[in-house]
Amino acid sequence: MVSDDILRTHLQELRRGTVVVASLIALRRPDYGYALLQRLSTHGFPVDANTLYPLLRRLEEQGLLTSEWNTEESRPRKFYRTSDQGESVLRTLLDDLAAVQTAMTGLIEGVDR
Amino acid sequence: MSSLTDRYLAATLGSVPAHRRAEIAPELRASIEDAVDDRVGAGEDRSTAEREVLTDLGNPQLLAARYTGQRLQLIGPAYYLAWWNLLRTLLAYVPALVGTVVGLVHLVDGDGFGAIGPAIGTALSVAVHVAFWVTLVFAIWERTGDARHLPRWSLDDLPEATTERQITLSDTVAAVVVLLFTVGVAFFPTQQLRFGDGEQLAIVDPALWGFWLPVLLAVVVAMIVFELVKYRVGHWTWGMVVVNAVLGVAFAVPVIWLLLTEQLLNPELVARFEWLREGDNLGTVTVITVVSIVAITIWDVADSVLKARRWPR
Repeated sequence: MVSDDILRTHLQELRRGTVVVASLIALRRPDYGYALLQRLSTHGFPVDANTLYPLLRRLEEQGLLTSEWNTEESRPRKFYRTSDQGESVLRTLLDDLAAVQTAMTGLIEGVDR
Repeated sequence: MSSLTDRYLAATLGSVPAHRRAEIAPELRASIEDAVDDRVGAGEDRSTAEREVLTDLGNPQLLAARYTGQRLQLIGPAYYLAWWNLLRTLLAYVPALVGTVVGLVHLVDGDGFGAIGPAIGTALSVAVHVAFWVTLVFAIWERTGDARHLPRWSLDDLPEATTERQITLSDTVAAVVVLLFTVGVAFFPTQQLRFGDGEQLAIVDPALWGFWLPVLLAVVVAMIVFELVKYRVGHWTWGMVVVNAVLGVAFAVPVIWLLLTEQLLNPELVARFEWLREGDNLGTVTVITVVSIVAITIWDVADSVLKARRWPR
């Protein structure tokens, strides 16, 4: 039986990178940090706040997200949205994710046969 | 807002460059307050909620590093091997070399065995300096430079294959010939310099036959035996490295001591060479010989260590 530590490391490695894809999809509808964190968790992408917040800033610096301060509500919040550039990067990432899934399926069937 | 969140923000922003604080601070504060409100809404006590939210966010320095993309390592994987290889190479030679020179200077000053202390002290302090400065330069390079400028690895960097023999027959023959030559020229009593007037003088002071020459001869014989053993084994082992070092020291230390105390050369021979008696010429010859012996001994030991390391086991 493989230890929990080893299993956790492999799962982390597998999940790494999916947070970026998930954020780019989720932010097609503009949202602020904490709300995005909640949405991602509900949809099965649990992510730590101290990972997500710096990630959002980095994606913004890379031009994949745009941001806007919303001061209409009681608390001013910074809303992020996936930019056009982010959308095109997202398409590529999704295609690749699908390619990985297809390749994996092919491999599994090939081994079974 | 309570002081705990303020303190957390201050601790985070303290590690962030000033020009980025203004953009990070309000957003991070809003995110913390959102999370706290959410927990309070779920029936939690406000101060407990705040503690838990901040604990989840973790070490503020780590959070700040994630915001700024700062490297949380002194030497990262891109530079590590270059740093380690350079450091290892420098530490293998530089401290021993500088220590030896310092020790020799003290020896020449007539400190005798008192030269060992300064030599070791200097070698240690040189080692610390080398380690510190090399690491500092790499740490700065890692933060300011471009890892693509590092020399790329290529097939030419592969070490020579050492799976066959490390010690070839020609190496052994050469070493034994050199040793026999040492015995012949320097120690053997019949090997003498013949002068024009027919007088024959030994190079080495015959008075040393009382004790030192037999000892040195025994060491040289042991060295010859060692060369043969080395050939038979075919490669360096750590045990052989130790024996080689002990033999090297057993030969070099008495010879150096005899040279420095002017007991090695035949006084009559020295008397025949006017040049040797002029000024400090004898002293200069002595120092050059001593430095050569030390250098050869250290080189020999270092070489054996490198070869023992390279031998796959």
